Amino acid sequence: MSEGDIRLEGLVKNYGDVVAVDGIDLHIPSGEFFTMLGPSGCGKTTTLRMIAGFERPTEGEILLDGVDMSSTPPHKRRVNTVFQNYALFTHMTVAENVGFGLRYQKVSKDEAKRRVDAVMEMVQISELGERRTSELSGGQQQRVALARALVLEAPVLLLDEPLGALDARLRLDLQVELKRIQEQLEVTFIYVTHDQDEALTMSDRVAVMKGGKIEQCDVPQKLYEEPNTAFVANFLGSANLLSVEARAAGAGCDVILGNFTLKSESKPEQAGVGTAMIRPEYVKLEPQGSEGENRIPGMVEEVVYMGFHQDVRVRLANGDLIRADVPNDGDSPEYEQGNAVAVHLRAANLRVLDNYPDQAADETVEDADTAAV
Amino acid sequence: MSAVPTEQAATSKPAQRPGFSLGNPWSKPRWLTGVTWVYILWSLLPVLLAIRVAFNEGRSRTAIDGWSLKWFFGDNSFSVFGDPALQDALTHSLLLAGLAMLIATPLGIMLAIGLQRWRGRGSGPANVVALLPLVTPELVFAVGLFLLFTTLLTTIGLGTTAQVIGHVTFSMSFVVVIVRGRLVTVGPDVEEAAADLGAPPLAVIWRVLLPLLAPAIAASLLIVFALSIDDFVVSQYLASGADTATVPMRIYAQARAAPLPSLNALATLMLLFTLLALVLAYVVFRFMTRGEKRGSAIEQIASIDSGGGR
Repeated sequence: MSEGDIRLEGLVKNYGDVVAVDGIDLHIPSGEFFTMLGPSGCGKTTTLRMIAGFERPTEGEILLDGVDMSSTPPHKRRVNTVFQNYALFTHMTVAENVGFGLRYQKVSKDEAKRRVDAVMEMVQISELGERRTSELSGGQQQRVALARALVLEAPVLLLDEPLGALDARLRLDLQVELKRIQEQLEVTFIYVTHDQDEALTMSDRVAVMKGGKIEQCDVPQKLYEEPNTAFVANFLGSANLLSVEARAAGAGCDVILGNFTLKSESKPEQAGVGTAMIRPEYVKLEPQGSEGENRIPGMVEEVVYMGFHQDVRVRLANGDLIRADVPNDGDSPEYEQGNAVAVHLRAANLRVLDNYPDQAADETVEDADTAAV
Repeated sequence: MSAVPTEQAATSKPAQRPGFSLGNPWSKPRWLTGVTWVYILWSLLPVLLAIRVAFNEGRSRTAIDGWSLKWFFGDNSFSVFGDPALQDALTHSLLLAGLAMLIATPLGIMLAIGLQRWRGRGSGPANVVALLPLVTPELVFAVGLFLLFTTLLTTIGLGTTAQVIGHVTFSMSFVVVIVRGRLVTVGPDVEEAAADLGAPPLAVIWRVLLPLLAPAIAASLLIVFALSIDDFVVSQYLASGADTATVPMRIYAQARAAPLPSLNALATLMLLFTLLALVLAYVVFRFMTRGEKRGSAIEQIASIDSGGGR
């Protein structure tokens, strides 16, 4: 078995009456870039802190390469952490920070120096070695924190919103760099973030978390294209959510929306009243009177100019409001308030979501509204 | 005062009222500066006078009378370095201050770390109690200690040991406040980071926590020294006789019996020690935290209220 294989089994963490992590089962194979994505309070950071050893699980096991380490103290675990606020040692120079952990490993002085130099070069801070950490910019501090964790060559690296405190441009640069480093070292990265873009662009797999549980765990493309729940659909990108009734029909199902019957290629676990989802970029606007299946007449209610695309909000004939992303590519027509259109909701992109009984219908609608803003 | 801003705008006359800013919110508050300076001069005046008398030529403690250093170093037996009683008092004060400093600081650091970490039942009251000596009237505190050492802890009894214990007890609260302010600034993450990088618990304390607390530790040492050397009430109540008299006690006693400018000379020396300790505390704190993004040392100490919960 190669190194860096993490397995979480029935992981639970309670703080008094508060359940922070509510039964997580996960397998993260060696060398994967795995992301835990969710809003604050969803349990993602607590899970990460349990893997690091800062918190003890109330129940469950954490296995690294098949060995349970849930009662191993943090300084004996072969995992290293990059903290959100860097947690650099301000009384040491950059090089001393990077070399800190090597002191507790059986490494000769020459070897330690070689490794510190190598890792500082990898994260491009070679020329900063003698500086004090307080003299560095945020991005540089982040690089020091990364180097300090990488130099120990642990098979697993934990990253707790490492780019959270940086501005947007720098984040993009560092995203690319983190991915490059991860691929180069073939280390398992467990990355915690609430930023969907980070999750989508860097990860091999993403677990979307909510209320201490994993809502859905899959490769980014699958999560985006085929979300199982309204929460996942909303958290990754924006989504139109429609209250519908689904009826099984052939390989897919029929979707009843008011007086209209649409086709969907998805097959929900159970038929009945539920939620259908379609991404705004898949909503096609066609001239009034277009014929064919899955077309509903509507009227443009609002157009918001967004730069590279327009956000067109159309009131469907059944009363629902739906958003369409129309690219500003010079070919698409420009819409104005009051235009009558036909809205094409393609069967391939219209997805009926799994209907969990504990998910109240009104909550779904509320989520849809907030996501539409 | 009658001018309302809108009226001023209508007449388009610039509202210039030098020296009086209530009518003109854009003017510099010069009168505040004035009040401040009056206060500073007023509070310094008696101290400066007392110092001046220490350099008197004559024996008067009430009038300014020539210049000399004879009350410091004079060969007569009344000068600070000529009178063995005054010299003993100085030595005893320095001994008490030194011991209090070396005992209260480590204890206070431990208490601060404990209080900072302690969450849950009992931590609230403990926080209050730990800071209580800051507001307890010193006299009440001293009488209490006096009773304790004369009735319950008679094996210790009154004397130097009791005085040291008294000084340690009340100055520890100051250490707690200073160290906790620093702990809030440093944050809990660095210790987790050190453990995460493989440092065993003791190494976390020695290589990370204590070096980061160093400025607060230095400041604590010197402030405890200044508090102790200044103290009168606790020292007085817990003293056992002439050999445990401190400088403030000696000054108080002699001021009523045989007032000579040598008392002022002694007081001047005390002032010098205290000032040196405080200036050193400030300078060391600033030097050790140089380059860190933060406010003044006072702001940092004050931050304990807002940032106490981590």
